[in-house]
Amino acid sequence: MTRIRFRFARYDSLKNISHLDMMRLFQRALRRSGLPLVFSEGYNPHLRFNLAAPMPVNVTASEEYGEVFLAQEVTPDQFISALTEQLPKGLIVTGAFGVDRDEPSLPALVSAALYRAKPVAEPGCRVEPKDYREALERLLARQELLVPKTSKKRKKKEQVNVRPYIFEAYFKDAEDDRSLELYMLLQSGSRGGVSPFVVIEQLKKELRSDCNHKAHWELHREKLYQEQNQFLQPLSEGM
Amino acid sequence: MQALDKKIQRLLLQVQKPARYTGNEWNAYRKDHRDDLVKMVLAFPDLYEVGMSNQGVKILYESVNKRPGMLMERVFAPASDMENLMRSHDLPLFALESKKPLSEFDLIGFSLQYELSYTNVLNMLDLAGIPIYAGERGEADPLIVGGGPCAFNPEPLAPFFDLFVLGESEEYLPEMLAVLGNLKKEKIGRSELISRLSEQEGVYVPSFYEPVYKAGKLCALKRTGDRVPEVIYKRMVHDLDSAPYPTSPVVPYLQAIHDRAVVELFRGCSRGCRFCQAGYIFRPVRRRSRRRIIETAKQQIAATGYEELSLASLSSTDYPGLEELIGELDQALAGEQVKCNLPSLRLDSYSIKLADRLHRGRRSKLTFAPEAATERLRKVIRKNISEAEIFSALNDAVEAGWQGFKLYFMIGLPTERVEDVEAIVDLCQRIRQHFRHKAGSRIDISVSVSTFVPKAHTPFQWEPQLLLPMVTERQEILQKGFKKMPGVDLSWHDAETSFLEAVFARGDRRLAPALERAWSLGCRFDGWTENFSMPLWQQAFQETGIEPGDFAWRRFEYDDFLPWDHLHCGIEKEVLIREHQKAFACSEARPGAS
Repeated sequence: MTRIRFRFARYDSLKNISHLDMMRLFQRALRRSGLPLVFSEGYNPHLRFNLAAPMPVNVTASEEYGEVFLAQEVTPDQFISALTEQLPKGLIVTGAFGVDRDEPSLPALVSAALYRAKPVAEPGCRVEPKDYREALERLLARQELLVPKTSKKRKKKEQVNVRPYIFEAYFKDAEDDRSLELYMLLQSGSRGGVSPFVVIEQLKKELRSDCNHKAHWELHREKLYQEQNQFLQPLSEGM
Repeated sequence: MQALDKKIQRLLLQVQKPARYTGNEWNAYRKDHRDDLVKMVLAFPDLYEVGMSNQGVKILYESVNKRPGMLMERVFAPASDMENLMRSHDLPLFALESKKPLSEFDLIGFSLQYELSYTNVLNMLDLAGIPIYAGERGEADPLIVGGGPCAFNPEPLAPFFDLFVLGESEEYLPEMLAVLGNLKKEKIGRSELISRLSEQEGVYVPSFYEPVYKAGKLCALKRTGDRVPEVIYKRMVHDLDSAPYPTSPVVPYLQAIHDRAVVELFRGCSRGCRFCQAGYIFRPVRRRSRRRIIETAKQQIAATGYEELSLASLSSTDYPGLEELIGELDQALAGEQVKCNLPSLRLDSYSIKLADRLHRGRRSKLTFAPEAATERLRKVIRKNISEAEIFSALNDAVEAGWQGFKLYFMIGLPTERVEDVEAIVDLCQRIRQHFRHKAGSRIDISVSVSTFVPKAHTPFQWEPQLLLPMVTERQEILQKGFKKMPGVDLSWHDAETSFLEAVFARGDRRLAPALERAWSLGCRFDGWTENFSMPLWQQAFQETGIEPGDFAWRRFEYDDFLPWDHLHCGIEKEVLIREHQKAFACSEARPGAS
């Protein structure tokens, strides 16, 4: 049995689907590919496949990871071409490599994600960089950012402080025009995290109400990170 | 087009489940909109995840798109959040594949599966910028065509449609589009085009018939010309093996309600349950050969990667040689890790044996439809199964490891009395007691109760629906009866939605203005409990002078003109009358119609 990890990117035409949709999409693509798949034992055998981190709906991404167990040796190149043939427009496999069978699972590795968000002004509105920068400063100055969280077990609404999950957030001027790009390094993974959309909602609240800031946000996930010796390292081929 | 696509993308950031509107799924066709192609949109007046579960949609999609010279795209009813955004941003309803507005197509075909989707039909036309009334459409507007089970009584929709196609369309639709393509080349006008299409068998042009009313009753649909046929006969497929069937169906990204490979074993049903419209309009039974089923299953699994295969039909365990088929399928799909399932299980030991063989995984609940709880009433509806048989089948199921049952019943069936309703409670109680000590723990029973809706072209078409207050009363008997029964979970269909369904299932053209009014008052997705609003419908009926009870609760006499009398489903009226009389002969109750 071998274990293959692969890297992929998701573009605009597929950004509207959910994590569960992505799981199904990959599983069905793998089933069509003719690769020697491995299924779990038991009554309800499922494909031994995983994605590193759930991707929010309406987010594109450039460096995502998935992994799959195969019954026989398959070279990375064979794997890439077999899977690529079965993927729809909007998903591209950019690399594959074998990993040790007893490595921890891919989702267990992820502890942070870097997002790039770009506000695009609605017609008739303007994105004023100064307002946004000031709003972000106010946001980051807060000790506590309470957002409602509906717990699945109890119907009771809970508040969670998401401020500690925002490791870093800064604006960078985009090269093409005067519009802004917000970079956010956010905690993600099994130990909790915050959605980039929640951070943006909080940022909008900090905007002064007198400025016309109607905009929609284009979101992109740049990279996933794992923690190594208390430092964040991008997930990469060496993992 | 690019601009429209961009505009759509922007709106999608603000809606629930944006993948309902993006298309681009695996196996979806992307044909260029060349001038010489006939372009059709298949419109399903419900949400994407409902429409993409419909096998008819998949059959037609491939039957047209596999042919040169024509293309078919899809559109589904936008949910209210999307509708609001489309209206406020002036975005027309668009087809999933090309994102082109519906108005740019030659023909829009609505799949009419249930009456409660009619407001969505009007809404979709309006969102597409197409006049909802056929008479107001211009030369440039697409032809609006209806098909599916509700086309067997399309009268409430008559003024909104240019034509209806009666019966099974997988062979006929490509043929009709080819004819349309040729007629398009002749550059003839719209009314001439409709008239030429009406010469084809199975095509019903409602505007060619004039309703005649006497004393508040429809008494005839008068032909407006000598060349207009008196009766329209349904289209049907004669040989399933040679008829088009999907080999590479579209695989949705969103989870559809039925998200699996489906191979139809046979069309029609030999059981003849008297309430069942599908059992009558899809007659006679036509079988797909074992060889063809296996070949299609293999193709579908290879082309989709689905993990589940459904062997579908109205009564799958009636397929001759089913055990051999399952054995051969097991071999053909060995190593693919595909689960097979049989929907519509009958309550007999043979069915349980097959379910036992197919079912892997936890055995939580097995579903059956006894429909009625007394043998007398089951005989009336011709669901011929004795109580001893029910218990013996359930016994087999518990022994095979199932821990519960889901049981479907109907209330309001012809000749039903309060005792028959109480018998539902009693039967479930006895089932519970019977298995108390047998199953490891207590067995779970879910009881789902719907209200009978008399449908066109069935032996019960003359029967009125049970009066609304009485339906509510009988539902209360059930609620009270099951309240004190632990381990039994009761659900029931809203009485008012079933009433509305009956109004439209038995209605005629006089309902059209009420339908339009209800839509303009905001009625949408009426089959979804959370959207259905009886007060809005009452207002619509009141403002248009309609007494809906006159349709749902009217008893038709044998010599009354029925709104669907000009549409022939292949069964002669005498046969239905005979079945109707037999039903009452089974009961001590007095026959309804004379």
